[in-house]
Amino acid sequence: MNTNKLILRLGLGAILSLALVFFLFPVLWMFLTSFKTQDQIFASPPVLIPPQDQWNLVNYLGALNESGGLQAVRDSLIVAAATALVSVGVGALAAYSLARYRTGGQQFAFWILSTRMFPPVASAIPLFLIFRELKLLDTYWALILANTIFNLPFAIWLLKGFIEELPYELEESALIDGASTFGAFWRVTLPLIRPGIVTALLFTFVFTWNEFMFALLMTRRNVRPLTVMIQSLAGGHEILWAQIAAAGVIAIIPGILLVIFLQRHIVRGLTMGALKN
Amino acid sequence: MKNVATQSTSRHWSQRLLGVERRNWRPALLFVLPAFVLLLSITIYPLVRTLALSFVTLELSVSPVERFNGLGNFTKALTADPRFGNAMLNTAILAVIGVTIQVVLGMALALMASEMGRTRAVWVTLFMIPIMIAPVVSGFQFRVIFNDTFGPLNYLIREVSNGTIRPPPWTASTSTSLLTIMITDIWQWTPFMLLLLLAGLDSLSQEVIEAARVDGANYWQQLIRIKIPILLPILIIGILIRMMDTFKTFDLVVLLTEGGPGSSSETVAYYTYVNGFKFFSMGYTAALAFIQLVVIVVVSRGFLSLQQRQRGDLR
Repeated sequence: MNTNKLILRLGLGAILSLALVFFLFPVLWMFLTSFKTQDQIFASPPVLIPPQDQWNLVNYLGALNESGGLQAVRDSLIVAAATALVSVGVGALAAYSLARYRTGGQQFAFWILSTRMFPPVASAIPLFLIFRELKLLDTYWALILANTIFNLPFAIWLLKGFIEELPYELEESALIDGASTFGAFWRVTLPLIRPGIVTALLFTFVFTWNEFMFALLMTRRNVRPLTVMIQSLAGGHEILWAQIAAAGVIAIIPGILLVIFLQRHIVRGLTMGALKN
Repeated sequence: MKNVATQSTSRHWSQRLLGVERRNWRPALLFVLPAFVLLLSITIYPLVRTLALSFVTLELSVSPVERFNGLGNFTKALTADPRFGNAMLNTAILAVIGVTIQVVLGMALALMASEMGRTRAVWVTLFMIPIMIAPVVSGFQFRVIFNDTFGPLNYLIREVSNGTIRPPPWTASTSTSLLTIMITDIWQWTPFMLLLLLAGLDSLSQEVIEAARVDGANYWQQLIRIKIPILLPILIIGILIRMMDTFKTFDLVVLLTEGGPGSSSETVAYYTYVNGFKFFSMGYTAALAFIQLVVIVVVSRGFLSLQQRQRGDLR
């Protein structure tokens, strides 16, 4: 039985490794590309691993300085951090209300969920027109607002699940001791759902960091998030593949960190709390 | 806890009397207000404005004047615009074929990973990576891989076949451009199905499976008669999430093919974008957006009622 199981695991491990080659090779290839020279990129047969003396940050510095990556990273950081804070802040309050008071009933909770189905292109036109009228195009505000709106249902549902797992008695005793509703939420509930808050913050941060369509539509020159920069470099005439690869490596850092540090909550996050692992 | 809200209105004067504020509903409304207003601004407001726009002609590149056009935009989209029909078809291909492959691969990988015992967490972590990568970056990665002149894929095909197979210029050929988008999408989202189904497999009751095993059911019988039916509600939700996402397929199109060659790889989201933000035909774009919305609502309603029926069956 035990040797059978070992053989089974070895066999399955071999198949899974093959699958992993498919799922990780593109990332690995981009990483290797980010250390190549332009000549090596076009070389045939392809250069697999760049020579040792090229393992430096030349392409990274090029992407950050010459190609405007520094500004792009800053813009993406500002937009993603502000979006995460606002959507989790607003979302936590709404989640508390839905979890503890069933505000609006089941129907309202599902309406919130269903707004996530709304195709972003469909809201892009009206939002674009409003932002144009309000002179918000090409500012951080436009992106923060648009991303907050699209991340809210996620934040609300995720946090609602975390709050519903807490026993109500703790808040109840705080209320009896004279705390206001907000006081009970702020001092009792919030500290207890810290893992949920962190999960929601990190997810909304990465979703916004990775977002492309609104970033493309709502910005021109003043604001230029990393995703837009990568796309515009890749669409140019003389494509600096290695620099774009370097920018790509920088762009995937938050996502990879999320995978490493938030494994336990990833399924929960991706299904908006519908499944827990 | 569940009936806090229903009791709040009828009993709140008595709670006042007792000094118990916990069923006070006013803060509850106040708490939900900011979220409500923000969400209205992406649903009801755009819905109304999109609907209003869809009945007019508004060519922003020519003039900011709206002219009433009746149902003109809709009839044009549904009867006289083969490019829109093509984009719909491409999106449907991604939603049906692409998502099916993701489900089958994800299921197979989840079943394998669930047998891996203590090393399982390591496998799962490695598989998770594609999910969290920005689609723009995924698109770029695959654009390099599929590149005809220096991409590793075509080099490999030429080497392995000793030059007998001439691989297509993947993203630059009308017959394979959509396929490159589908493969990238499969690459990015099969891990999501894997995670979802693995969580589902974990929640299966071991007793049921043990009972089936004792009754002499082999692995495949257990899988088809017990595991898959129990996983079905989760599976339906996963398929629904992914199908809705294919309606948003935009980043990959921009990075890999820009809809081309010709319009061979245009998706609905991309074609809508082209009309709105390249041609600036806001009225027509609004009509396209509205048609998509109707399709999405119909499809998701269908799936949700299917899921409800499934749940009903199991009970």
